[in-house]
Amino acid sequence: MNYHVNHITDYIYQSPASLCHNVMFQVPTDLPFQRVREFSYSIFPDPSFEVVRSDFFENKYIYFSIERTHKKLTVIAESTLELLRPNWMDVDPVSTSPWEEVVEWLKSTDAMNDIRQFYLESDHVKFVEGIREYALQSFTPGRPIMEAMLNLNNRIFNDFKFTPGFTDISTPIEEVFEHKKGVCQDFAHFSLACVRSIGLAARYMSGYIETLPPPGKPKLIGADASHAWTAIYIPGLEWVEFDATNNLLVSDKHLRVAVGRDFADVTPLKGIVYSSGEQKMKVSVDVRNLDNPPIEAI
Amino acid sequence: MIESYLVDRMFNNTPFVDEMATTDGQISPNWDKMARYYERLGAERMAQYQQEVARQLRENGVTYNVYGDPEGMNRPWMLDPIPMIFGSEDWANIERGLIQRAELLNIVIKDLYGSRQLIRDGFIPFELVYNHKGFLRQVDKLKFEGEQQLIQYSADLARGPDGKMWVLHDRTDAPSGAGYTFENRSAMTRVFPDMIRDNQVRKISSYYQTLKNTLVNLSVRNKENPRVVLLSPGPTNETFFEHAYLSSFMGFTLAFGEDLTVSDGYVWLKTIKGLERVDVIIRRVDDVFCDPLEFRGDSHLGVVGLMEAIRQKKVIVINPLGNRILENPGLMAFLPRLCREIMREELLLPSVATWWCGQESELKYVLENIQNLIIRSIYRDGVNKSVFGGELSSEELYQLKEQIKKYPYLYVGQEMVNFSTTPSWVNGKLEARNAVFRSYIVADSQNNSYKVMPGGLSRTSPTKGVFIVSNQSGGISKDTWVLGRSSDTTPTKTKVEKAAPVVRNILPSRTGEHLFWLGRYLERSAYTVRLMRMVLRTYNEVEDDIHIREDEELSTLMRSLTELTGTHPGFTKKKVLRNPEEELVSVASDVNRIGSLAQCLSSFLRNAHSVRDRLSLDTWRILDSISEEFSALRGAHGNLARVYQSLDNLVIKLMGFYGLNIDNMTREATWHLLNIGRFVESAINNCVVLRSMLTGHLDVEASKRLMEDTLRCNESLVTYRYRFRSNLELSGVLDLLIVSEDNPRSVIYQVLKIDEHLSSMPASENETLSPARKKLLEAITKIRLCDLQKLSTLVENKDSYAHLSLFMDDIIGLLKETSNLVYEKYFNHVSSRYSMIQTSIMPEI
Repeated sequence: MNYHVNHITDYIYQSPASLCHNVMFQVPTDLPFQRVREFSYSIFPDPSFEVVRSDFFENKYIYFSIERTHKKLTVIAESTLELLRPNWMDVDPVSTSPWEEVVEWLKSTDAMNDIRQFYLESDHVKFVEGIREYALQSFTPGRPIMEAMLNLNNRIFNDFKFTPGFTDISTPIEEVFEHKKGVCQDFAHFSLACVRSIGLAARYMSGYIETLPPPGKPKLIGADASHAWTAIYIPGLEWVEFDATNNLLVSDKHLRVAVGRDFADVTPLKGIVYSSGEQKMKVSVDVRNLDNPPIEAI
Repeated sequence: MIESYLVDRMFNNTPFVDEMATTDGQISPNWDKMARYYERLGAERMAQYQQEVARQLRENGVTYNVYGDPEGMNRPWMLDPIPMIFGSEDWANIERGLIQRAELLNIVIKDLYGSRQLIRDGFIPFELVYNHKGFLRQVDKLKFEGEQQLIQYSADLARGPDGKMWVLHDRTDAPSGAGYTFENRSAMTRVFPDMIRDNQVRKISSYYQTLKNTLVNLSVRNKENPRVVLLSPGPTNETFFEHAYLSSFMGFTLAFGEDLTVSDGYVWLKTIKGLERVDVIIRRVDDVFCDPLEFRGDSHLGVVGLMEAIRQKKVIVINPLGNRILENPGLMAFLPRLCREIMREELLLPSVATWWCGQESELKYVLENIQNLIIRSIYRDGVNKSVFGGELSSEELYQLKEQIKKYPYLYVGQEMVNFSTTPSWVNGKLEARNAVFRSYIVADSQNNSYKVMPGGLSRTSPTKGVFIVSNQSGGISKDTWVLGRSSDTTPTKTKVEKAAPVVRNILPSRTGEHLFWLGRYLERSAYTVRLMRMVLRTYNEVEDDIHIREDEELSTLMRSLTELTGTHPGFTKKKVLRNPEEELVSVASDVNRIGSLAQCLSSFLRNAHSVRDRLSLDTWRILDSISEEFSALRGAHGNLARVYQSLDNLVIKLMGFYGLNIDNMTREATWHLLNIGRFVESAINNCVVLRSMLTGHLDVEASKRLMEDTLRCNESLVTYRYRFRSNLELSGVLDLLIVSEDNPRSVIYQVLKIDEHLSSMPASENETLSPARKKLLEAITKIRLCDLQKLSTLVENKDSYAHLSLFMDDIIGLLKETSNLVYEKYFNHVSSRYSMIQTSIMPEI
């Protein structure tokens, strides 16, 4: 599948900013089942300094600074991606290894640091009380890892209510767990905590997904959003991706931007701004399926 | 004295290891000379010498701050007159061990931020590193030129029961104490010069020279004359004294995060001349506070964008960020094997036996023996304190065990060892106390080796038998003597000597701002003191049965005090006038009241502390005595007589502060800013007092007395008598206090002084007269052209000297505008309020 994404972020400052330094994780990279056909970005006002770099997790990111007075910052990232059907789509989940074997293997030095680092706790992924028990209901003894993970995905989808506005980035996982409410980041963080708490390696996937309008309705520009899901490591298949928010195994409709331990590693845009007032943020994301364009709004 | 110590050691506590006493009750040879010396002195003179040591330190302003204690700021630094002593042979072993350890840790740090082969090969457990908050992923693969990435290193050592020195902690992030060490040695040298000579105590100065050489050598740019900045968290930091001291002593510029900015990928220092490029930062700010963009977004101690400047290799930061991972006590368990594997030698300095709970059998051991172990988190911070299992209640033990079981890899258990004691001078006698010695090691980048300071900072516990030693808990420091000649004969290169002077001329805007306020608060304090004395003197003279508000002189004086200090409504209220003592005491000593003398002094002292690296040693001594007087004033508790006495002392001390600066300060921007602040303040005060004292229509006698008071308050009464030889006339008083350009107390003199100092400040290009000087020119002209006759004429329909009042308003207005313009020009880019923004709304999918 081929997709085009347009991601616009606006920061509006209450009082003018004299200087800002920013880091943005909005640069997709080539991955096993993803090719970057085109990528471009623009920043207004023109940065005094900008550079593209790679981080610890091999994501690309952009650092930039604006050293003159401005009241508004606009960042636009545009890309065209080709998504391939992942190899795990053809695997029978029942045929995968029992999950305990993967846990044991991860403890050995054969599993590289790059993989093992994803079974540790992180800022947004804490092993709160009860989470291991929640996970073990799906990860029953001897159960094939992929089957167990699909089951966990399904339980999260059914137990949790998708509730925009209930959480923000500072909402701790306990609260999400207690109220069983949240959005995609929360579900991603929660499922990460579940699988890491039983010793599996899992990482946070940041990206986009196309939202389809109700049948017969036109698609609105900017109505898509960035998305988050989970990948767990299964030897032989490597990082297999699961989307708890939509209860599915990720195929060729999820556009990947960055991977990390959690949201904090790959925040789409963060910065320090020298301004005394408040700021407002506006995000608009537009994902187009180039092979199969939906009906345009008139 | 010594004998009783030996006896005490022999019979009190067996078995034991003592630094001075041997097991059979003799004096160890290294301590022999010193023991005999102290014996000769006797307890009485010993106590005198101790006071002398304390005085030296106090007068040099050596202080440290205790967190979380309102009285904890600027505590005097405590130094035991009995040093810690190492013999030359003993020391040679320690030195070798420390160098080996530094080399080993340097290899480890390069690997952990490089290929991480040591983890892959199983020499260092993965969880020990990846779970440690000091493992900074942002600095991965970043290294600067040269093989040494660990530049400054300190190890805390203590002597174990086997007589060997053991390592208790490694300090690799921003080790502190080298400044205190130098001060300790200076104080001891002044008090015990002959003992230091007789014992052939090795000098420690080469350490500082090597550090300086290395910093210069590491600078990427500008190797001949690099700009080195010492980044300090600020005056409330525990060891702020030494940040100021070291930067002044080593020729670095002291800077806080807000003084630096990143632009164009470079780090710049905001100075009153504009931005100056920084080449090397030696930091005392903890790793994750250094750049809020990439680490802790809530830090206001760091420099935004610093990491990017480091990545671009446009600035060198020492120690490099990320080195804190080496402070991990869990590593200690793996060092012996690492040393054998990497360096093919045995680890010379043993660490305290350490069990890292991330391994199954070690976890089991720690849980079973928890009562005999010290439990430490692998990450040292304010929250995770070391605890001794033996001191916990069963409930606390249970909690701790649960915590360890949940996060085994975050904890270590360490053996509780009985370390050696050393004789310490406590309450007039020798007592045996546990001592911990902090060593200082620095990379010598020219020779690609490590150098150990022959000496260091020893600390003893404040109470007998307490083993955990820190300054925060009230430890006492000791100078540390290494006896005998140096084995190292390579001469120290003095390449950087010439670099220092240029660096000294930089004046950060924030420092400039503090100097300006220092000048203003100095003058405001002094003026307030003088007027307050006048008020108290007059008040003491009034007869008891007179209502103050009917006494026009006294009520005017009191209202004038309210005007000057801005403590309205104050004496403008009749009720307060009726019973003025409470208000007088409050205006004098209530530090929480804005405008009060106490508050003024406290601001004066605070600004002085912030620029202490710019003030001479003698000035610190005066500050110290002003500080004491300030405490006395605050402690006056409603006693007006004591307030009065304090005022008398203060006036002299404040003038002494100024006088010393006249003598000592070089005539550069520091000096000019201090004076601009000072004269702006005195000119404004002068106008305010003239306006409030002389513009009312009072009876002839009261007016005369007020004129006299005004003159006296400005120390111009004698001049008046001498010059006019007549009765007091308003026009004469105004002549002397406003327009006489030769009277240093006149408004015009002070305004001219502001202009003179401003004209010596760096100017913008193509600027003939700065906006501030234009304002001054206006004020100067108005004063020169003023009609004294008109000003001293009573306006009948207003029943006051309204012309004078309006004129003073006018001049005050111009002076305040000048002050704002000065502010804008030199300090405006100080404004550094920032906040974090980030994608905060969760996408709605």
